[in-house]
Amino acid sequence: MSYSDKVIDHYNHPRNVGSMDKSSTDVGTGLVGAPECGDVMKLQIKVNPQTNVIEDAKFKTFGCGSAIASSSLATEWVKGKTVDEALAIKNMDIVKELSLPPVKIHCSVLAEDAIRAAIGDWKKKQETGKPVAAEAK
Amino acid sequence: MTTKSTLTAIGSKPLPDDTHSCWSCGDMRAAHFCASCGKVQPPSPVDYFTFFGMPPKLNLDVAALEKDFYDLSRRLHPDLNARAGSQEQEWSLEQSSLLNDAYRTLRDPIKRTEYLLHLEGVALEEQSKAATERARATGEVKKQIVPPDLLEEVFELNMQLEELRMNKKMGEDDPNLTKEIAGHKIALEAKHDALLQELQTYWTDWDSLIERNHGSKAPAEERAKITAKMVDVLNRRNYIRNLVRDVNAALEE
Repeated sequence: MSYSDKVIDHYNHPRNVGSMDKSSTDVGTGLVGAPECGDVMKLQIKVNPQTNVIEDAKFKTFGCGSAIASSSLATEWVKGKTVDEALAIKNMDIVKELSLPPVKIHCSVLAEDAIRAAIGDWKKKQETGKPVAAEAK
Repeated sequence: MTTKSTLTAIGSKPLPDDTHSCWSCGDMRAAHFCASCGKVQPPSPVDYFTFFGMPPKLNLDVAALEKDFYDLSRRLHPDLNARAGSQEQEWSLEQSSLLNDAYRTLRDPIKRTEYLLHLEGVALEEQSKAATERARATGEVKKQIVPPDLLEEVFELNMQLEELRMNKKMGEDDPNLTKEIAGHKIALEAKHDALLQELQTYWTDWDSLIERNHGSKAPAEERAKITAKMVDVLNRRNYIRNLVRDVNAALEE
């Protein structure tokens, strides 16, 4: 099996590798895994609390080239989108963009899971923050 | 006659009755040879357990399997059937290849388990994709298949391994890090063994379910309950196996 040029590009020059402060209320963290291959992927987003726009995204993936490329692309795509827009990203969009073969579709599923998990974590933080904010009013 | 009872008693895909007779002498036949005239038979679409005339049980005697394998491979060897008709030769070639696949799958405990799950229609990737689609539709967060703390452990250890590799690349040595990773290695190997033992308890659950039902199919619900546990162990094992492999590679580099 050969990787597409786009996968190779993301693999050789991954975008947005790194991490952010997990405990920050603006940061959502998603840690997901694909048991079929043992890959693990961490994706973090930093959301502007006023606009709900994802201002920054970082990832770190241990896995095959397709998993790295899928998560690298995912960080590129979510940046600048609102949380709701980012939730509209589907794994098949990633498959198309990277020309992933059928055996690597699970890598794109993993990337979508990571986006959702990061947003879910961020949302949870906002909800737990709310009652306090309401009381302060 | 014993062959017949095993053949009909087991397998998710039993031989249709009309294929039970030998093409040459018409008598009852086994999966590979006619019990009466000994001629090689055309391969039947049977599962690997049935191919070896065994019930689909997971605790199996590997030594006995090996003996059957050698015995069958001798008798099915295309060279030995050189004097047979060309059709029979072709069948012996096909049967030999089926025999090799069946043996390689069944002798390995993990492959054997995965094969049973395959027979049971468990499709892991499909399940994961479906769960993602449900999460997309409902907005609920998808439940990860492996426990979060295991994912966390896998991630952290991978970070350490990366650091170790970087250090080595730069010609630096951090004895504390190496020591720590060597410690993880021992813990991981113990964990791997524990998972295999856990898997074996589910094998035993499965086998007694098969025995209780005397070859007729056990209720789908009961089968699914046990296969789900096996899937869970195999998923966790995949991570541990990869880590053991990566730790060994990083320490040896």
